[in-house]
Amino acid sequence: MATAALRLTGVSVGYSGTPVVTGVDLELRPGQRLALVGPNGAGKSTLIKAVLGLAAILEGTATVLDRTPARARALTGYVPQTGNLDPDFPVSVRQVVMMGRYRQLGWWRPARAADRRAVAEALDRVGLADRAGHRFGLLSGGQRQRVLLARAIAAQPRLLLLDEPFNGVDAVSQEAIVRVLRELSAAGAALVLSTHDLAVARDLADLVCLINGRQWAVGTPAETLTAKPLRQTYGSSAIDLADGRMVLVEP
Amino acid sequence: MIEPFTVPFMGRALTEIALLALICGPISVFVFVRRLSFVSDALTHTVFPGVVVGFVAGGMDGLFTGALVAGVLTAVVLTVLTRSARLTDDAATAVVLTAMFSIGVILVSRRTSYTSDLTAFLFGRLLTVTPRQISETAVLAAVILIALAIGARALTFRAFDPAGAAAAGLRIGRLDLWLNILLALVVVAAVRAVGTILVVALLVVPAAAARMVTDRLVPMAVAGTGLVLAAGYFGLLLSWTASLRYGVALTSASAVVLMLVLAYVLLLPLRRWRDRAFTGRPSPHELVG
Repeated sequence: MATAALRLTGVSVGYSGTPVVTGVDLELRPGQRLALVGPNGAGKSTLIKAVLGLAAILEGTATVLDRTPARARALTGYVPQTGNLDPDFPVSVRQVVMMGRYRQLGWWRPARAADRRAVAEALDRVGLADRAGHRFGLLSGGQRQRVLLARAIAAQPRLLLLDEPFNGVDAVSQEAIVRVLRELSAAGAALVLSTHDLAVARDLADLVCLINGRQWAVGTPAETLTAKPLRQTYGSSAIDLADGRMVLVEP
Repeated sequence: MIEPFTVPFMGRALTEIALLALICGPISVFVFVRRLSFVSDALTHTVFPGVVVGFVAGGMDGLFTGALVAGVLTAVVLTVLTRSARLTDDAATAVVLTAMFSIGVILVSRRTSYTSDLTAFLFGRLLTVTPRQISETAVLAAVILIALAIGARALTFRAFDPAGAAAAGLRIGRLDLWLNILLALVVVAAVRAVGTILVVALLVVPAAAARMVTDRLVPMAVAGTGLVLAAGYFGLLLSWTASLRYGVALTSASAVVLMLVLAYVLLLPLRRWRDRAFTGRPSPHELVG
């Protein structure tokens, strides 16, 4: 029987002793896709950082692939928000994806054929094989996000964490990313992605965790993306339409 | 064009510059991508009191040890301050910079013949470089280049994407300390030849100028080294010609730095042209200066 890819029990996470998110209880199995849904500043990124062992777990226990978060890093992948990266950085698309192989390569062993193949395959999967030689910063926002996804794939992670992968991403790139994410989970990888897009969460996730300072609900999209928990999570920016559907109005 | 360099002191000066070029090209790439220009500036200033104390204690040889101790100490203090204390990088750096530099000035002003000493510390003595100094620079250059080669992959990852690098298991604090200590060592290697003020130009300008002609990291390092070499050659030639032919006293280190900055200015239009050619618009960096 497969063990949990991620198990959080009564977890509070934060920085310098100050909690950002409290009371998180969830379990994610291999092959499942979890969406962390909440408004900006809800603590989605902090929770992802905690799973990577980069933000402190103040209470409760977190188990990542049967290890502590820090010890599981070799098996986890992380896709940051592309907006945080300097578009002027002198680095090619291929070099960015090769960074995903650095853990296997160590400090200075030169890249071997297997590494170059993994990089080429990862770029091919996200549909950017023809851009390998381009400078990273010259690509569109959506393409950059796909390059960062390729970098994570190149390391073959068993748990992949993505921070707002669809922020500022064009439709073509969004489609490509969704396709790759479905393929990855079909192959057995567990996925965690943060988003404030309810449609993405509904379409893509097996599990949804609503957070805003604390966990408000966790369950299938049908259970969680309903009026009461959304109003608890989003307050007055969640508006109940007459037909029972919800819309979010960005504050 | 070669003839002035057959004179022993000119040959030694050029050798020293060539060794500095070897390390300044690669290290300046990291200064550029990590935006550590201000940290480099701080390091050059904080080495100053170490230089003075070293000189007072042991003359020109003590100067080297003094610079080494002060440089490494600053690298550690700067890394710790910017990581643990809730200071922005800039504020922490400015505090360390001004504190150490004023200590240096106080120390220098307590010496009787301070004016001549002060200029030597600030602007270096490129033409009086001794064979022993050259071998010390060579040893330091070897250490720096090896350490940089070992860390290059991790340092690049950290510079490009700190969160991604940390998630991949790299220790960001240790990498920052690593780079800051290497920067301090470069300052120590260069400080006797070009002085505490001008050494910052060798740390910042090569990669900034090389970025105009290439957007790849290794070619940037190579081009940066080439630029320092060329600036060294033409700068020394300029100061030689100016003093011998026209009786104008032009400090050789200043002439070298002047050439380096000139190369930067001359390459500026090339960058604009390249950016237009590739994207049809100037890069955001240039829009904000």
